[in-house]
Amino acid sequence: MSLQIILNGIATGSVYALIATGFALIFNVLKFSNFSHGATMTACAFISYFLVADKGLGLFPTLLAAGAAGAVVALFGEFVGFRRILKNHSSATYFFVSSITLGTLYEGLVTIRVGSNFFNFPSFFNNPTIGIGSLVISTTDVMMFVISVAVLLVLAFVIQNTRLGRALRAVSFDRDTAQLMGINSTRMIQSAFVISGVLAGIAGVFLGIKYTLYPSLGSLVVKGFIASVIGGLGSLPGAIAGAFLLGILETILLSLLGSGYSTIATFAIMLLFLLVRPQGIAGSNVQEKA
Amino acid sequence: MKKKLLAVTLALAMAFGMAACGGDPGKTGSGSADQGSAGNDAGGEDGADAGDMGEDADASASGTEASQPAAGDGEILIGCLQDITGSTSALGISVQTGAQDAVDEINASGGVNGKTLVMKTYDTKGDVTEAVNAYITAVTVDNVSIIVGPPVANIANAIKETSEDYDVPVMGLAMDPACQLKEDGTAYKNMFCFQPNANTQGDIMASFAVKNGLKTFGVLYNQENSYSVSLLNPFLDTLKDQGITVDESLIVAYGAADTDYKTLLQPIVSAGVDAIYCPNYTQQLVAICTAASELGFKGKIINGLDAAPPFNTTFGGDCSNIYYINNIDVNDEKTSEMVAKIEDKVSAVNKYFLGYDIVMVAKACIEKAGLEDADALRDTIANVKDFEGLTGKITMDPASHMPAGMGMFMYTYDNQTPVMLEEYAGN
Repeated sequence: MSLQIILNGIATGSVYALIATGFALIFNVLKFSNFSHGATMTACAFISYFLVADKGLGLFPTLLAAGAAGAVVALFGEFVGFRRILKNHSSATYFFVSSITLGTLYEGLVTIRVGSNFFNFPSFFNNPTIGIGSLVISTTDVMMFVISVAVLLVLAFVIQNTRLGRALRAVSFDRDTAQLMGINSTRMIQSAFVISGVLAGIAGVFLGIKYTLYPSLGSLVVKGFIASVIGGLGSLPGAIAGAFLLGILETILLSLLGSGYSTIATFAIMLLFLLVRPQGIAGSNVQEKA
Repeated sequence: MKKKLLAVTLALAMAFGMAACGGDPGKTGSGSADQGSAGNDAGGEDGADAGDMGEDADASASGTEASQPAAGDGEILIGCLQDITGSTSALGISVQTGAQDAVDEINASGGVNGKTLVMKTYDTKGDVTEAVNAYITAVTVDNVSIIVGPPVANIANAIKETSEDYDVPVMGLAMDPACQLKEDGTAYKNMFCFQPNANTQGDIMASFAVKNGLKTFGVLYNQENSYSVSLLNPFLDTLKDQGITVDESLIVAYGAADTDYKTLLQPIVSAGVDAIYCPNYTQQLVAICTAASELGFKGKIINGLDAAPPFNTTFGGDCSNIYYINNIDVNDEKTSEMVAKIEDKVSAVNKYFLGYDIVMVAKACIEKAGLEDADALRDTIANVKDFEGLTGKITMDPASHMPAGMGMFMYTYDNQTPVMLEEYAGN
């Protein structure tokens, strides 16, 4: 097995990890799969493209703009799509319907503004590759890996070592009890959406750089969902592990089996994995609302 | 109250952000969104350019919306079935703009048999279902006389069977011979192609590669796309005729769901081939060429028509190792003059020329055969001979409904500037 293939898989897995973590974070707190996450990624990637990247302002302003856009879009989604459902303790099905509706709304807005066309982020690096011995590593892949890992480490630190993180964890265990203990649950849920939105924005830019930018780019959220399931729904470390596993598995199977069969094989292995270990890698399968 | 105010502020901020993202979308992207408005405005704002070419754009003759009224007395309605949105919209919009400019030019010089041409555009959205529905609307509801067909083989393939039930010629650009020919080798009665077919184009690209000393090849093609598949074997066959066989393991297929081009390209790049043959659409080409670059590939990449501009601006980087086939010779004086006039309003200049030529051929055929007898009109189109178009001299083969002996040109880029290398005669 070529080391190059493994490196490609790790690079892909690092982007999946960002998607999966944002996805898992909302699942962890609210116990539902937020399918508007994909369209949030798309919207943020386009916003950052037109506000920053198109003007040649560089990678970091693009990522900052995407992250900020993600926070705003996610907060909007939380208020419009989920706040009232939460307050009314409505049926869990509404969360699912609302997330699908929000996702369709975002994608529709993007399509109205840009058409169904595709765009390409400008090249952020003069040298597209880094040579290490006989290995050729993509500069973009290295950048994505480094930034993804850095973002995930910051997130891990925040979750584990800060008041915000402890409060988030408390709300994820039991929202009502956390509220009784003096934690503002609504504010914590908003925080979870902001963090999830920032991750979606960064992931959206990375996906746009990797695969070009188009309105249905957010459909790749399914990779994050699969990674979350493999990792153990609701578990952040599990989601990250699942994402890297998925990325590497995909590239290895694509390399060995070629197009077509590799997709079938990937999903077959996933099904087998869930059959053997339905609780996922982390073993913390949280009961989903819908 | 404070919370509501915050929520409203957030909503407004989001709406503003979404609105901001619409700013000049085509500028550095595929360019197609921007060209979308250019194309749709062909008879309005762009009428100034059209006027320069002896055109007098008439708003009523520039219909591009489904709500446009059907042709009245003294008018001939033609349909334009194109991808106005979707990943190949840059091509469709360019064909539409060229066709519209030809319509405007014809109307400015008296119309066709004293009647005004009116063109109505139907957006296929790059979707075969949309295309079939649009085609049926055009021929049954709007009763168009002729359809300017798409440069997209999948779309043409989708409508070819349906077209047999009607009497409206589809004068298109789908180079896959299967779009024009049935399995028994006879032609679909209404399907016509007005550019060299895939056999000719694949042969030219392979001949060019061999002539320029390339000996080893890898291939990355989309097995789910008619255009891509149709260009595979003609290229390989010509190489074989020249004594070059491409290793089976280096002929890599991908599908619509595949996005990891780096892994797909890995065996080809590792084999150290001289060139990668990539007959794919622009969106995939951009991603594939980016992946090849990120794998450190230093060889040449030979592409079909879709590596012509706007590929260069969309890709954004140095395109000096990209080679592609094209319909037009930018060194030709007349061609270069027209290119200078239109390059600001269309991104795929070659497609503009093809759209323009089709309408001009249609005009000549309608003038000759009229519109009363569908068989006579089809027969006239199938027997077009020595028509001097912007893309060359067009002579149709009545048996295949495709041009016979029409040549093309091989290009590369000097960084991002297209450079014409050589003309090749068609086979």
